[in-house]
Amino acid sequence: MKKRQISDDSLNRIIKYLVITLLGLAIIFIAIQFSDFWTWILNAIKAVIVPVGLSYLVALVVFPIIKYLEKKGIGPRGFSLGIVFVLTAALIFATFKYLGPKITEQITTFFNRDFQTITVYFQTDLRDDFIFGTQIYDQVSSYIADTDIINTTLNQVIPNLISYFTSSLIPMIMTIMLLPILLIFYLLDYEMISERIRSIIPSKHERDYTELGARLNNTIGAYLRGQLSLVVILGFVATIVYRLIGLKYYLIFGVLVGVTNVIPYFGMIIAALPPTIYAMIAGTGPGPVLVLAVNGIMQFFEGNFFQPYIMGKNLSLHPIVVIMSILFFGSLFGAVGIILASPITASIREFFIFIRQRRKRKEIKHDVEVDSS
Amino acid sequence: MIKKDRQRIYSQFDINVILFFLSMIFFIPIVLVFTYIFEVDQLLNINTFMFWLLITNFILMLIGFFSLMIRKEKLIRQVKPTYRVEFFYVILLFSFGILGFIVLYDYMGGNRKYIANILVVVFVASVYALIYLGKKYFKFYYMKKK
Repeated sequence: MKKRQISDDSLNRIIKYLVITLLGLAIIFIAIQFSDFWTWILNAIKAVIVPVGLSYLVALVVFPIIKYLEKKGIGPRGFSLGIVFVLTAALIFATFKYLGPKITEQITTFFNRDFQTITVYFQTDLRDDFIFGTQIYDQVSSYIADTDIINTTLNQVIPNLISYFTSSLIPMIMTIMLLPILLIFYLLDYEMISERIRSIIPSKHERDYTELGARLNNTIGAYLRGQLSLVVILGFVATIVYRLIGLKYYLIFGVLVGVTNVIPYFGMIIAALPPTIYAMIAGTGPGPVLVLAVNGIMQFFEGNFFQPYIMGKNLSLHPIVVIMSILFFGSLFGAVGIILASPITASIREFFIFIRQRRKRKEIKHDVEVDSS
Repeated sequence: MIKKDRQRIYSQFDINVILFFLSMIFFIPIVLVFTYIFEVDQLLNINTFMFWLLITNFILMLIGFFSLMIRKEKLIRQVKPTYRVEFFYVILLFSFGILGFIVLYDYMGGNRKYIANILVVVFVASVYALIYLGKKYFKFYYMKKK
């Protein structure tokens, strides 16, 4: 039987890939040897990337409002920017001034009055109410007591959390102080900055990169604007509904619904648990079934009316894809990964759609050239 | 020959009229909803507050009505295949407006025990109304969406 010969081209390609792989591994190996140096460099990059990235994300939300104002004849850029900044500052100030004391009051009342009741319930009454019977409850509680799991976890988690917050406090304050300044300069010269970035790209790829950049900007911008609207609307609706049904800490639970809504699918479940458990234990106010029903209705409205209209087509991902992306990016980047899982996945999808369309365009162009020749 | 079952296409003027009257109907409830969170009922006399709201509503209605009439000719010539943004505005009006009517019921001394029951019934009615409005006027076929 005749042995199949490998062509010179294939052999060259194999050698090329092998050399690239080996070089890559060698670079990684050398980089590992100087890990301290790389950590130093990475920290410096992180110090720049975090405020710049945040200002880019905020600009995606704010810039359409400035554009709208300019379209209505409110200009120049500095004036429209000033209006948006003053209004945003007034809104943040009003929220803290009027809602802040109320939320603090509710939290204080909760810890002064109801926290004790809840602790007593978990220590004594839960045993009688346990759905699998008192015997299993005793077994579970003795197991928990034997393994000392709660104390061990708390001893591990709390010092870590404290050290994390203390170490990131100064960078966080710096970022908060820098953000408005960066935003002002970024928004003032938004078009010019985009143009400069575009000018770095080789002219051969300029059109493709511009199109891809615009698409990704649209996707992330649509997500951020939509998510912000959803957080405000749902937080508001939930607060009102909770107050209407007579739930005691309506403001805390309502804000919780708004904030947790940034996590698709899981958010509403996480937000529904505390008021339901509270309604179950407190005994006064609405029952747990009513709280659950109200949450179900809100979930229905959010998923079927608000979400499709606010988010639009760009972010219509299949629920399984969204859940998988939350698990994946959550394990990679933690809380930030969970929040940004959907826009990252939508951007990746947009990227692949762009590649496919580009390839198709090239094929059509090639066919036309062949036909004409 | 023109088909009898052909759907009527509504102009921007028709849609604006619907939006305007819905806004006027839901004006007081929506203001009440926003003030409910800040517990205005404990700061002000709610009857006086509602009286001033009613007067504001009347003035806004007059201004809106005349501005619609002035722009009628221009708006009547504008037609869109679907009124997506306008429909989203209606959804917002319904969401907050319905809650506002329940706040109104609470202010008028209605029994709080029945609020949950009223909420569920009104919710079902509003979903039906939204689907109907979306299909007939805003050309938004909600049920055929997926």
